[in-house]
Amino acid sequence: MARRSTKPRELRRQPLFTWVSWCVLGVLYAPIAVLILFSFNDNRAVMSWTEFSLRWYGAALENEGIRNAAVVSFKVAAIATTAATIIATMAALATSRGPGYPGRSAAIALINQPLMIPEIVTAVATLAFFSILRQVTGWTGLGWLILAHTVFCIPFAYMPIRARLADMPDTFEIAAADLYATPWQCFRHVTLPLLMPGVLAGAMLAFVVSLDDVIITLMIAGPGETTLPIYILGQIRRGVTPEVNAVSTILIAITVLMIAAMFTLQKKRP
Amino acid sequence: MIDIDNVTKQFGEGAAAVQALRRVSLTIPEASFFTLLGPSGCGKTTLLRLIAGFELPTGGDIRLDGQSIGHLPPHHRPVNTVFQSYALFPHMTVARNIGFGLEMQGRKPSDVAATVNKMLTLVRMEEYAARRVDQLSGGQQQRVALARALAPHPKVLLLDEPLSALDLKLRKQMQGELKRLQAETGITFVFVTHDQGEALAMSDQIAVMSAGEVQQVGSPEAIYTRPRSAFVADFIGDTNIVPATLLRYEGGRAVIRFAQGPELCANAASDALAAGPVQVALRPETITLTDAADPAALMCGTVAESTYQGAATQLTVRLETGPEIRVEVTDPPSPGARVGIACDAAMLQVLAD
Repeated sequence: MARRSTKPRELRRQPLFTWVSWCVLGVLYAPIAVLILFSFNDNRAVMSWTEFSLRWYGAALENEGIRNAAVVSFKVAAIATTAATIIATMAALATSRGPGYPGRSAAIALINQPLMIPEIVTAVATLAFFSILRQVTGWTGLGWLILAHTVFCIPFAYMPIRARLADMPDTFEIAAADLYATPWQCFRHVTLPLLMPGVLAGAMLAFVVSLDDVIITLMIAGPGETTLPIYILGQIRRGVTPEVNAVSTILIAITVLMIAAMFTLQKKRP
Repeated sequence: MIDIDNVTKQFGEGAAAVQALRRVSLTIPEASFFTLLGPSGCGKTTLLRLIAGFELPTGGDIRLDGQSIGHLPPHHRPVNTVFQSYALFPHMTVARNIGFGLEMQGRKPSDVAATVNKMLTLVRMEEYAARRVDQLSGGQQQRVALARALAPHPKVLLLDEPLSALDLKLRKQMQGELKRLQAETGITFVFVTHDQGEALAMSDQIAVMSAGEVQQVGSPEAIYTRPRSAFVADFIGDTNIVPATLLRYEGGRAVIRFAQGPELCANAASDALAAGPVQVALRPETITLTDAADPAALMCGTVAESTYQGAATQLTVRLETGPEIRVEVTDPPSPGARVGIACDAAMLQVLAD
């Protein structure tokens, strides 16, 4: 009898369990629900509901500021995701294939560590470092922002790729080498196809993280490099507009779709 | 022909080091069915992986047709492997799996397709070309793994306990199939197993291994009837190991005497044993029972147990000198009977160690 409460499945029988669960979910999702709801409100005043309308979506799509910010956001996210995913895949291979070497677990910890560092610290550090580099090289442009995004996306892309690789027995790669595949052919025809669900999951995670980054972007972005989250932040300072609600809802939709796709892909085991 | 020359393999360093192979030397003849037989942990799979190139030897070398391959990466060796787990590529069809080696060698697509079809016919899997490998049964996967490894026509095919995942009936069938494939293709097969029945049934030559060393190499008949050591005699089939006294050598044969009975001229695993106590291997089916008073009887005992096995009956006879031996006869005396043990001297083998 004393054991009963230690069984996890018994948790659901505890008093108030359902009630607490709904409360937590409510607190988590109520603000988002309100935002989504009012993005469909045909009224400038945010607080009162009049009737359903898509006019703010139309307005948002016609707003040049939003459109420019969206272009910057997706350009940065797309390039940073691609670069980060390639680097993370190579890092995952180097840390989970082949014979062990001294410092392997240190390497894994170093790649994951940025996830544990407060973003504001990374942001300030990146700002300081980049201003030196900017001064020395004299280079300007979107490249700096893309570089910063690439760097902080690497650990996010690395996690699911390495997890997949660790689950994948290396017998397939051994068999490929046995059948005359060079190391590159082995990667191209066997490792990569089998690893693909992990790579896609990592890429999507990186994309989402890049798309909604604020703190680092705020520090690094130069003039004309406003991303969507930064644009929204700027608008909010002048009061919440229904346009911002609409843009936020679109961002939520994209994020949810990405995360859902990621989970579906990760469920496919080798 | 594969020449394994003084190969040593050590895993780990210092105190944690494990000697998987100790100065193993073997010659595997061309176009033969060669079996590495031994209990688990004897080093047979390590030796196979060294030939394939998945591991590199710590010492010694491996030569294939006179060329040193011991330190080449696997994709530069004309050697293919059938893995215990098959390791078929799950993201490819049966046909692409079989064609993989040829594709990697850069053969023309038309050549690849033709060879794949030939291989599918060879392993009787024609209808399954377009299937995904996870839609196949264990036996079918086994055939695909064989076809995939044979398709590039390697000089040597390595088989790592490929039958161990199959049920008994399928295993028997595949044994015949493997023999047929070896004869048809003329490729040297190196087969790893811990199953002595399998080894005796399929091999041209068997190397019995134990604790990282080769104990004995020979044909199945030689290994069975002329075991060199107590380990080999005991590992291959059912055997009795009985003490006797070595008196002298005569014309390459050992003159021995058991607890009683006449002096006998037996086969000897070594011609350099000191006179005195030796161990003699005696297969249960070579023993004949006789009267305890018969002057030909080598030892006497009482029947302790009798187990009917259909074609023959297995008896356990407790010898008057203490140990028990097993005997296989067709007309068994009843338990408790006093019997004499006789045997054709040509069936006796004096063990070297």
